[in-house]
Amino acid sequence: MKNNISAWELKQIEAKPQTLKSKLFDWLVSFMPILMALLVLLQYKLVPNKKVLISFKVYEPTNLYAWFIGVFLAAFAGLFIASLFSKKVFGKWRNAAPLLTAVFLLLLAYDFATLKARLLHATYFPAIDDILNALIAERAQLWINSRHSLILLFTGYFSGVIAGLFCGILSGYIKKVRYWVMPLIKVLGPIPANTWLPIILVLPFISLFQGAVFIIALGVWYPVTMTTMNGVINIPMHNYEAAKTFGVGKLSMIYKVAIPASSPFIFQGLTQGMSIACTVLLIAEMMGVEAGVGWYINWQRGYADFAKVYAAIVILCVTFFAVNTMLNAIKNRVLRWQEDKV
Amino acid sequence: MSVKIESLTKIFAKQIEEGTLTALDNINLEIKDGEFVSLLGASGCGKSTLLRIIAGLEIPTQGAALFNGERIEGTSPKRGLVFQEHTLFAWLTVRQNIEFAAKATKRLNSRTEISNWLEVAGLTEFADNYPHQLSGGMRQRAALVRALAVSPEVLLLDEPLGALDSFTRMHLQDELIRLWKGRGNTMVMVTHDIDEAIYLSQRIVVMSPRPGRIAKILEVRMSYPRNRAVGDFTALRTQILKLMDFAQDVQEEYTI
Repeated sequence: MKNNISAWELKQIEAKPQTLKSKLFDWLVSFMPILMALLVLLQYKLVPNKKVLISFKVYEPTNLYAWFIGVFLAAFAGLFIASLFSKKVFGKWRNAAPLLTAVFLLLLAYDFATLKARLLHATYFPAIDDILNALIAERAQLWINSRHSLILLFTGYFSGVIAGLFCGILSGYIKKVRYWVMPLIKVLGPIPANTWLPIILVLPFISLFQGAVFIIALGVWYPVTMTTMNGVINIPMHNYEAAKTFGVGKLSMIYKVAIPASSPFIFQGLTQGMSIACTVLLIAEMMGVEAGVGWYINWQRGYADFAKVYAAIVILCVTFFAVNTMLNAIKNRVLRWQEDKV
Repeated sequence: MSVKIESLTKIFAKQIEEGTLTALDNINLEIKDGEFVSLLGASGCGKSTLLRIIAGLEIPTQGAALFNGERIEGTSPKRGLVFQEHTLFAWLTVRQNIEFAAKATKRLNSRTEISNWLEVAGLTEFADNYPHQLSGGMRQRAALVRALAVSPEVLLLDEPLGALDSFTRMHLQDELIRLWKGRGNTMVMVTHDIDEAIYLSQRIVVMSPRPGRIAKILEVRMSYPRNRAVGDFTALRTQILKLMDFAQDVQEEYTI
């Protein structure tokens, strides 16, 4: 036997031999997504739609959803065929198959409950076809508003992060600073940042945008300050002492030792801060700021155009997911020196 | 180079209750250039405190610690320090750790010089690894080399091998001797391992606890490399055990 086998090969060697029954089961499971997607497509095209009596903001179904499902169907079929030839593809596909089956089962049920049987209120629960059409029809609006939201989010987030790092590092490192910052944290910290919205948004000397930036920054400032301060306080003394013997001064100690050593804690604050920033952003946009995805949702709700509301929510999901994935990627890169990631 | 401790006393304030604790009581000691000295004693005898005072991390309450005739105030790259744990910066690779020391002390160690140090530590292959990816022994070797890379006049070792298993430990003891012989630094090592003290040092400062005092200073007149099994070695061990009140005359009991 050769010595340099990969971990994957090892797994193959040590795996229990499969019985015919378990093999059949695996193939069946990996075929299920295709079957389910096909069912969704067939139901959509063949089962007649139920007419609604009051059709306020209820649209005629188009072929867009059929194409949408069709693309997935084709992709699933392709992967299924590929998994016949490659064991690696099969492993991944077999793993994803149950989840995909469940998702398409949900779609099947949703289509039935909306278009086909009208069990749900047609205005509040639009067909997925409507949402897809809204995404395309409203793309300009959605683009402008998500851009506004992102600019607001990041301006607020980074202002909060900078303020939080500044307060956290200094109050962790210097006792006298902690004396002054701690009471502020204790009083302001537990109050959700958006509590201040009604006050900030009516202040005459700042714009709505600046006000919202301030509120988001305040929400981010708190967790970043707390985690950073705790991180700096809990650095093992030996780190400072070793650096001291090399003649590192009190000021350069901050960026040479205090910041890198507490970076796992800092990233905890950055992650918490991001989820708070997203929440506060939406609240701010729904309460006063006159642009952004939150504002758009409120606006379309006013017209009871729920397909557009859902379209905006889809955009929000995608955006926040992307932002958090990015943050995580940065975190994993910076903290690659860590044994157990916090 | 010389380290001189003159009637030094160190008192700590207790953390929990009001009150104080005398860690070191009237210590007098002189360490000569190029010497390998061990501070040996049970926990609480103030050996680490004495080392930290020499490093400049603690201030004596009374008396003085002198380095080259000058009172020690604060740390200096001339007095390198290696701890038992957390010795390396966890966020830097082995190479970066050595570079950190070189840069901080404003010594422009070239890349080849740093590579040489990595080779001395036997860590060339692991240069770009982070400390958590190394074994305990590798970490301590890297820490030793990092401290040596800035050419200290005296290297202070605070139980540097205390956290290692006994085989790695014996291996690193030989490494320590090799490094010391090769560079001629003065070495001051804190340890609670009697064999380690005898195996490594020219003089052993045996300390007694509460309050920390020097019980006796013993000279070890064996040539390097030493043999742990010879009579001189075991005789010295017995002598130290007696000094530390561990070797009561054995009262043998016979039962039929």
